Amino acid sequence: MRILRQIRYKPAKVVGGYADRILRVDLDTKEITIQELPPDFKSKYIGGRGYALKIIWDGTTRQTRYDSPDNILVMASGPLGNEPAFPGTGKFIVGTISPLTDTFIDSNIGGHFGPLLKRAGFDALAVSGISKEDVVILIDGDAQTITIAAAPAYDDETNDGALSFGERLLKDVNGGEYSDSLAAVTVGKGASNARFGVVNSLFFDVRRKRIRSKQAGRGGTGTVMRYKGLRGIVVRSSLSKVNGNNAIDKEGVRQAGSRLKAVVSRCDPQQLHMATWGTTGLSEYMDKFHIFPINNYQYGHSPQSPNLFGNVFLEKYFSRKIPDGCYYGCNLACAKGAENVELTRGPKVGKVVNIDGPEYETVGAVSSMGIFDPHFVMEYNWYCDEYGIDTISTGVTISFFMECCQRGFLSADDIGYELTFGNIQAVDRLLHEIASGKGFGKIVGQGVARGKKWVAQKYASRNGTSEDAVMAELNKFGMEVKGLEFSMYITKESLAQQGGYGFALKGPQHDEAWLIFIDQVHKELPTLEHKANALKWFPLIRTWFNATGLCKLPWIDVRNPEAASTAEPAKNLPTLAYYVSYLNATTGSNKSLQDVLDDSERLYILQKLINLRHRKGSRASDQIPWRAIGPAYFNEYEARAEYYDEWLQQQLGDNKLPASPEQRHKLLMEKRIEAYQQLCDIVYEKKGFTSEGIPKRETVEKFGLMDEQAKQLLSQLGI
Amino acid sequence: MVASIRFLGMQRVIANTDGIDMPITGNTKVNDILEYVRRQYPALQLEEGMVLVTVNLEAASLDRILRDKDTISFLPLIAGG
Repeated sequence: MRILRQIRYKPAKVVGGYADRILRVDLDTKEITIQELPPDFKSKYIGGRGYALKIIWDGTTRQTRYDSPDNILVMASGPLGNEPAFPGTGKFIVGTISPLTDTFIDSNIGGHFGPLLKRAGFDALAVSGISKEDVVILIDGDAQTITIAAAPAYDDETNDGALSFGERLLKDVNGGEYSDSLAAVTVGKGASNARFGVVNSLFFDVRRKRIRSKQAGRGGTGTVMRYKGLRGIVVRSSLSKVNGNNAIDKEGVRQAGSRLKAVVSRCDPQQLHMATWGTTGLSEYMDKFHIFPINNYQYGHSPQSPNLFGNVFLEKYFSRKIPDGCYYGCNLACAKGAENVELTRGPKVGKVVNIDGPEYETVGAVSSMGIFDPHFVMEYNWYCDEYGIDTISTGVTISFFMECCQRGFLSADDIGYELTFGNIQAVDRLLHEIASGKGFGKIVGQGVARGKKWVAQKYASRNGTSEDAVMAELNKFGMEVKGLEFSMYITKESLAQQGGYGFALKGPQHDEAWLIFIDQVHKELPTLEHKANALKWFPLIRTWFNATGLCKLPWIDVRNPEAASTAEPAKNLPTLAYYVSYLNATTGSNKSLQDVLDDSERLYILQKLINLRHRKGSRASDQIPWRAIGPAYFNEYEARAEYYDEWLQQQLGDNKLPASPEQRHKLLMEKRIEAYQQLCDIVYEKKGFTSEGIPKRETVEKFGLMDEQAKQLLSQLGI
Repeated sequence: MVASIRFLGMQRVIANTDGIDMPITGNTKVNDILEYVRRQYPALQLEEGMVLVTVNLEAASLDRILRDKDTISFLPLIAGG
């Protein structure tokens, strides 16, 4: 590789989960600097998402867009993300200004990159500038060098693929052999052509003896990386992974980890069986409760859904009895994968590949396009990973255009071929067009929000109607908020989860709140007050996981039996106590759960400020499509008329239901929209916001965030 | 009168059936169904605190009296990834 810049450095020793250093790389100037962090930085911003937020808040402006040279791509682990003695460590965050939402986005990702970056002496990596030629960054804690090199030129097939390129790169920088002392992040050609490019995290799995991959899927972080001319980053450290955080109280870490591992070992085999079939087991439950996002979230259930249930993937594809943690020591081990799967479609037809996944979200994305073929799920999974595009946004955007065809806004003439729900041939073609930026794929690669504008202009000019009128109709079923496509859950029957998506600062991704079951099934949130409390508490604790380098699943998807006797079982507080113990033992702190929530709220408010700066932070930005609120169209109402009529009758009390189904549907939607606005009011109040969803001055001051930029911003907003 | 017990997820794989019907009387409670299933399918491991019992897709207490054609399931406590 042709070296463009190289520095030598002495890796900082990790103490109590922190190296207290950020590595900064400017791809314009090829400058490499190591920033020492002041002591209060970690206490205020924790790590992971918190570090990314602070770096973006300070280093970018209102004018910064995804392709601006001053946009910063941050990769940050947290103080707890490097410990095999505790399940679910190893996560890191990729944060930046998003090409989809035009504001801060972060996406969490598993694998070995975050822990190795920490052991190489850095809490975070921040990349700014745009390189004129494609480059790679090599952070070598063993050789004690940091290098910017021209990206190696392989054959076209390898160059285009995020997986292929990364596999080759990891071998090349290590004398032709794979090693678990190295990990990489890479992007593929899809990230050049779509706004929803992903960052792939590649690591060597010593059990499967192959490179595996996880993805930072949401919001186009890979698009930013590719636009910067950055093809890949490799990190190396041979330091022991045991006690990687160099905990202050090692015995405390061991005890907390043992307790959580015991709960996971005992409970997962009686609950979700994540260790057996990963998250694919969720499809069946989602379908049963009308939450599976079939045909662009029109219907939650289908007789064809069993083709996509977990047992199908287990029987046909998953390698069995291999502990599949995406980092060492995780006994939930849900990162399932398959070897030797033959592609039957697309440009690589006949190729035999290894596939990491599918996750539930990918299965759901395929169902959103009306497809129920498990082999197609596997192929879609692999092609999206290889191209480096998000399976969720790809599926939701395609399904939006399918519905545009269904409802007469577009025809085959606009697209070049028939694009109907369930049409595998069309989706197969379109998927490769998106990745290549060709044909109709150029339009789809822009995502739903920009797709709506394109359809509105086209339809309005063709029919002599106003674009606003068309847009109002598209807003009913275009499944995006703030520019981000929904993740794969129907919310029509859970007001709490409507808020879970609507208020989510990054857009409708469920990592801030997933309240569907406790609202819709458990009935634990009967009033607006209950829902609002949950919509404050869950985003805070979930934010903390994204700040510390932890996976949420051992907490949220493995219910500790002791939780049953607590006042709010869904919070799984007995397990959270293990996490607080783990934090204190690692860092030497003495925090309570409330302290943790307060720390997290500071990050939440900071993210809100960034959203406001980028005009995505007010009440208007929290509004959700009709389809997320209820049955946007009559066909959806008809499919669940009995349920909807019962709900409407409860709202009307002694008053009679309207006589005709059409009138009932209309009234139902009016009531649902009214309920969502009431929810906005009470949630904003709980969070210390104005009725416009803007943090009050005292809320910002409470968390020590009232710097000059915040003062000016709030003044401009009349606060 | 009869109640229907539906097996979902891994329960369906372990029990090797989508579900079974059970004759009930006017006094049959959810707990009676749970005990019946435990006896019939010991491999299912339906420990207290591990699963959510639903009747007609809504959470139900163990002392709830069942009605004709009620559908019972034992769900994992799903809380979202």
